[in-house]
Amino acid sequence: MHLKYESQLREPLVYGEKTYGQVTEDILKPIERKPSKLWYVGFFISSALLLFGVYSVYRDVTYGIGQWNLNKTVGWGWDITNFVWWVGIGHAGTLISAILLLFRQGWRTGVNRAAEAMTIFAVLCAGQFPVFHMGRVWMAFYTLPLPNTRGPLWPNFNSPLLWDVFAISTYLTVSLLFWYSGLIPDLATVRDRAKTKFTKLMYGIGSFGWSGSTKHWQRHESLCLVLAGLSTPLVLSVHTIVSFDFATSVIPGWHTTIFPPYFVAGAVFSGFAMVQSLMLVVRKVFGMEDYITIGHIEAMNKVIVLTGSIVGVAYLTELFMGWYSQNKYEGYTFWYSRANLFSPYGWSYWGMMACNVLSPQIFWFRSMRRNIFVTFFMSVIVNIGMWFERFVIIVTSLYRDYLPSSWSIYYSPSPWEIGFFVGTFGLFFTCFFMFSKYAPVIAVAEIKYILKTSGESFKNKITKIETEPLDKFVDEQKHAH
Amino acid sequence: MKEKKHWQSFGEKIQSETYQEDLKQEFAEPNYLEASSKRRDFLKFLGFSTAAAIAAASCETPIRKAIPYAIKPEEINPGQASNYATTFVDAGDAVSIVAKVRDGRPIKIEGNELSHVYQGGTSARVQASVLDLYDNARLRNPLKSNNSAELNTVITELKESLKSGNIALVTSTINGPANLAVIETFKSKFPNTKHIIYDADSFSAHLVANEHCYGKKVLPSLHFEKADVVIGFQCDFLGTWLNPIEFSRQYSTKRKINEKNPTLSTHIQFESIPTITGSVADIKIPIAASQSKSILAALHDMVTKNTCTLQDPIIKEAITKTADLLKKNLGKSLLVCGINDADCQKIVNQINNAINANGNTMNWGTTYNIRKGLDQDFNQFVLNLNQGIYQHVIFYDTNPVYTWCETNKLQEGLKKTSSTISLNPKLDETTSLCKYIIPTHHFLESWGDAESKTDFFSFQQPTINPLFKTNQWQDTLLALAGENTSYSDFLKNYWIKKLGSEENWFKTLQEGVLNNVNNTNFASTTLINTTITENFKNETESNSLELVFYKKVGIFTGKGAENPWLQELPDPVSRATWDNYFVVSPKFAKNNLQIDLSISEQADAYEVKPAKKVMTVKVGEQSLTLPVLIIPGTNINTIGVALGYGRNNSVGIAAQGVGQNAYPLQKFTNEAVCCHNKNVSFTVKSETYSVALTQTHHRYDTAQGVRTEVIKELTLEEFIKEPNKIVEEREHELKPYGGIENFEKQGTLYGVYDKPGVKWGMNIDMNLCNGCSACVIACTAENNVPVVGKQEVMRFHEMHWIRIDRYYSGELENPKVTFQPMLCQHCDNAPCENVCPVSATNHSSEGLNQMAYNRCIGTRYCANNCPFKVRRFNWSDYTGADSFPNNQVTKVSPTTFDMNSDLVRMVLNPDVTVRSRGVIEKCSFCVQRLQEGKLKAKEENRTLEDKDVKVACQQACPTQAITFGNANNKNSNISLTRSQNTLRQYTVLEPLHVLPNVTYLAKVRNEGDFS
Repeated sequence: MHLKYESQLREPLVYGEKTYGQVTEDILKPIERKPSKLWYVGFFISSALLLFGVYSVYRDVTYGIGQWNLNKTVGWGWDITNFVWWVGIGHAGTLISAILLLFRQGWRTGVNRAAEAMTIFAVLCAGQFPVFHMGRVWMAFYTLPLPNTRGPLWPNFNSPLLWDVFAISTYLTVSLLFWYSGLIPDLATVRDRAKTKFTKLMYGIGSFGWSGSTKHWQRHESLCLVLAGLSTPLVLSVHTIVSFDFATSVIPGWHTTIFPPYFVAGAVFSGFAMVQSLMLVVRKVFGMEDYITIGHIEAMNKVIVLTGSIVGVAYLTELFMGWYSQNKYEGYTFWYSRANLFSPYGWSYWGMMACNVLSPQIFWFRSMRRNIFVTFFMSVIVNIGMWFERFVIIVTSLYRDYLPSSWSIYYSPSPWEIGFFVGTFGLFFTCFFMFSKYAPVIAVAEIKYILKTSGESFKNKITKIETEPLDKFVDEQKHAH
Repeated sequence: MKEKKHWQSFGEKIQSETYQEDLKQEFAEPNYLEASSKRRDFLKFLGFSTAAAIAAASCETPIRKAIPYAIKPEEINPGQASNYATTFVDAGDAVSIVAKVRDGRPIKIEGNELSHVYQGGTSARVQASVLDLYDNARLRNPLKSNNSAELNTVITELKESLKSGNIALVTSTINGPANLAVIETFKSKFPNTKHIIYDADSFSAHLVANEHCYGKKVLPSLHFEKADVVIGFQCDFLGTWLNPIEFSRQYSTKRKINEKNPTLSTHIQFESIPTITGSVADIKIPIAASQSKSILAALHDMVTKNTCTLQDPIIKEAITKTADLLKKNLGKSLLVCGINDADCQKIVNQINNAINANGNTMNWGTTYNIRKGLDQDFNQFVLNLNQGIYQHVIFYDTNPVYTWCETNKLQEGLKKTSSTISLNPKLDETTSLCKYIIPTHHFLESWGDAESKTDFFSFQQPTINPLFKTNQWQDTLLALAGENTSYSDFLKNYWIKKLGSEENWFKTLQEGVLNNVNNTNFASTTLINTTITENFKNETESNSLELVFYKKVGIFTGKGAENPWLQELPDPVSRATWDNYFVVSPKFAKNNLQIDLSISEQADAYEVKPAKKVMTVKVGEQSLTLPVLIIPGTNINTIGVALGYGRNNSVGIAAQGVGQNAYPLQKFTNEAVCCHNKNVSFTVKSETYSVALTQTHHRYDTAQGVRTEVIKELTLEEFIKEPNKIVEEREHELKPYGGIENFEKQGTLYGVYDKPGVKWGMNIDMNLCNGCSACVIACTAENNVPVVGKQEVMRFHEMHWIRIDRYYSGELENPKVTFQPMLCQHCDNAPCENVCPVSATNHSSEGLNQMAYNRCIGTRYCANNCPFKVRRFNWSDYTGADSFPNNQVTKVSPTTFDMNSDLVRMVLNPDVTVRSRGVIEKCSFCVQRLQEGKLKAKEENRTLEDKDVKVACQQACPTQAITFGNANNKNSNISLTRSQNTLRQYTVLEPLHVLPNVTYLAKVRNEGDFS
């Protein structure tokens, strides 16, 4: 079994008539050269944000969750919103690496490495929130089913929050393995080209003594396929389980059976948007336009418009059910706390609608799908919209639920709550900058699979058509079927 | 091989009958109801207590070492509470109580059920008074000119100086016979002494009017339990007026519904500011306080002559109907009026006379000994003071510099005296102007007696040694009078003489009360003066604005402002804490503040942020700038303001910077301090001020219908006509899940299990709850609920385990108000339990939803998933129980910080864990009391009975709205209450299938012809 991909019809996945040597040269350029000024600036800003986040978390741990503006009614706010948002972003990586691999989507090779890295960093960021939103974070290990002397006392296996612990940790482990096993041949390439002893040693350790033998390649491919098989259900399960945090509760606006598919679609939606944002920057900064092509961008935009529309249908279904069920509490949550623009949080609902449902529809137009600026703008918009979605689900459901006596005052975050979120951006980009400096952002080995075949076939076909006399072509077409 | 048989006992060897029996029982569930203590059970309890001790010990809290007694006092057993009957005395109020003392510290106050007047009921103020004992602001020694002084030096010095010149002894109403004897002793030593009684909560006009009409300057005892028709006129008799605990209990007897034969008294309330009394009334009519005379006169005319001169159609109709009702219920009605105006009270007397209240619902044979102060006496005193008549003034339990409306005159006058002496316990506004200060004991450190009603005595005994170098005021007066006996001996001798023997005295002291059981006859009295001044009958019903002063149930005249528990207690109607504010009607807000509450966007904008508009109200020279709260039910021409705020800084951290003092805006007219003031002007300011509200007013209805699962309410008429209305409504709600009958089984996918043994249950009768909030403070005291301070309450971080939810229904300008006490419902299918990732909250076999604090990691998922929102999270280190050092400074309010000082921590209940930061807490059904009760029953080898267990809120409730007990015992109160009230019974949010163990009885209003 091999990963070779051929298409007679599609445009090439790599431009520029590259040779194998050029591919290696191009992609490893950022690793082998000194980083640019821009890299330093970016890295510095990210680290600064990370430090601010660390300080915000320090305050929360030392002085209590009271540093945040949550209250007796709104027990979760930005913390869990950000958690779900980051987990959602982490979905594209696995989808691209696993599902697209299984579906033999050759175009994935241009973006899968970065997308997988993004997944891992996003999941790392996501994991911070459920940990540090705990009132007593130093007791977080209570959630782990460790053998213990406290009875033994086990966690509550009925709790969706515990399912989260398992779902997220499994997801992180599998994604990390998948990503790293893909990295091994490339790290070996870097090792082989290394000019200093230290680099050679480090990449040598990192590539586990990869020699490029056929046996290695065979095992590598099998491993990738097995991991792809393992990750595929994870793409669906992780966000399904995250959605159970809400779906299994009794709170109107949370207690909804539509959540699992709706959350998964939303996750893919936001994940692809994040991949777009990052890849557009990477291809520009590292000059990788030949590898991450307009074709890639268009393909991802198609996924965005599809999942965006699924999410839109889910929103409308919720509204419909809010009315159709004739459940007072749900009706109030969906129609008053959310859909009413003039209710206190109406802006967030309509912000979500505008960003997630209306604006992606622009991608029905081919020219828009292939427009880099529109794509970048939309990718940011979609991620804002998806953040709003989680905020809407969490806050507008909680702040006015069953007993009007407990309805909350207006919840808005404190600086330290925002600081925590900003800090995870710092963490994410610090990791990403390190990654782009020390690892090939595009899978070198995998690009080489698709380099010749797809491009050559397409070109041969086009040349043939173009040189053919018109009469003959028409005739041929007539008798073709 | 023959099997060798081992035997463990002779019984087993010979297979005796008992052994056979035991064998059968070996694996039977222990029945705690009937079990006698067995060895196994002993081990179980041992195991439980060891586990509990280990659990308690495993918290990583700072260790504070306690030193055991070298010689253990006989009566103190560590871990065991002793209860002492004593009396709460404050500003003339005297409530019989039992103080619970643990390890030498009084920690909780409960009502004394032996008292015939209070019958075990308490109020928020009484419940909170135990905290005053451990107040850091209490003076710790006598002071002379602001310097510490020895008691003896001060006494000797004063003895000398008091010899010449006139002495004014200014006190609140003092009513114990021995106390009065002390004053007599003092007066006989210093004959030039004048005793001036001054009550900040004045009943001056009532006394004057009674003297005018009946020739008796007394307040007759009132009997709401005999009144089928109660008319309240600007009178919060269930909250703040005269003797609210007694009235609540009486009133509740007529509000209890017997399902088989439902009857209710009719309560019509005329008031300008919504009070709890108006809220529970069947009919409430907003009036302007200044129109009261004309309205009362109109009512009088309607009752006596059937004519009415009133113009206002709404009030006219109300008056006509009220008069009809009164005439139909002659001898079974009562009119009470809270206006401190003799003219009003004279008309009230005429009406009460006309409806035969005298001798029927008013007993002139037993009169009140509280609130005997006359405003004109005090006014005269102030005048005399300014004339330099008095050289010496002694203040006790009164703070006129703060509460008297013309405080400047008083302060001027005080400068003209040669010595001012204060016996108040704190450096309050009056005391701080005094030269000599001999602080008195807290009442829990004191001896004393009280007689709140004629021949109903109540006694004080110390429950703790004085904490500071304070001196009981009686001792001070006796010492000044040159007596050598201490007051405790004085009191003892006085009562031994009266009771006949020392034995009787000890018995009486132990019981704490001496009830007048012989005098059961109702005495009537005759009206000697029937003149009513005619001039106000034609008083124009002007529409000018007026300022009305009211008192809050917790803060009252201002003493409550010193108490953090009372400051944090939400006002039952406005649900605001830590501030006073202007109360205005929605119409006023619409016209003057541009806030139209009938538009949901504007209402939302007003509600969701704590910042409220600020207004300056000016009366003559005086002005007051406060935030404005829109309270539906307020009269449209009325601006209300609560008294008791704006205290000086030295009375306690809790009072600092809280609210503004409204007393100077009051006016002394017509020989009394008037509780409303006309000729008011106001300006709306541009700035806003944040008020710490714990509940907002919100839409209760939805597009799909009203939230009937929360509050169930109907009128008596409906209830008689369709007794099954509530049941049918429930049936309708539960129809999709199998109806009431099969709901428990069909409403879930999971199995339904038997619940044998003890099953705790609570029932709350919403018809009896009047929102007085005594339960809230009782719960705070019992369960060590932290005080979080204004900033935190404003962020919705308050910690109360029980709250009184207030719901409005009906029209915006005059809605009906329903109170619903809300606490953990201890659901059998609790949504909080299954979401906790670490099982920190789980279900006990007795139906309790319990919290393991040291297992809690604080994800707050349970709080989110609680449909009743009763779970409270420790957002900051409110208690100092945290393992992170120095994380309280600037992160908790100064009051909270002060509450963690060693002195104030003495009030903590050692049976209840002090929760640390980051964990969730909530109502535990007072599990410590349940365990104690079960053990007691077990020790005595009998079945658990109702008397073994009383939870704190239930004990405090003056109306007995809360019933609690073992629902599996057919004869327990809770089972009987539930089985006798099936028609009104429901659980909140029943269709959710959370299966609460708290049931509610629907509210029934007797609207009669008014609806």
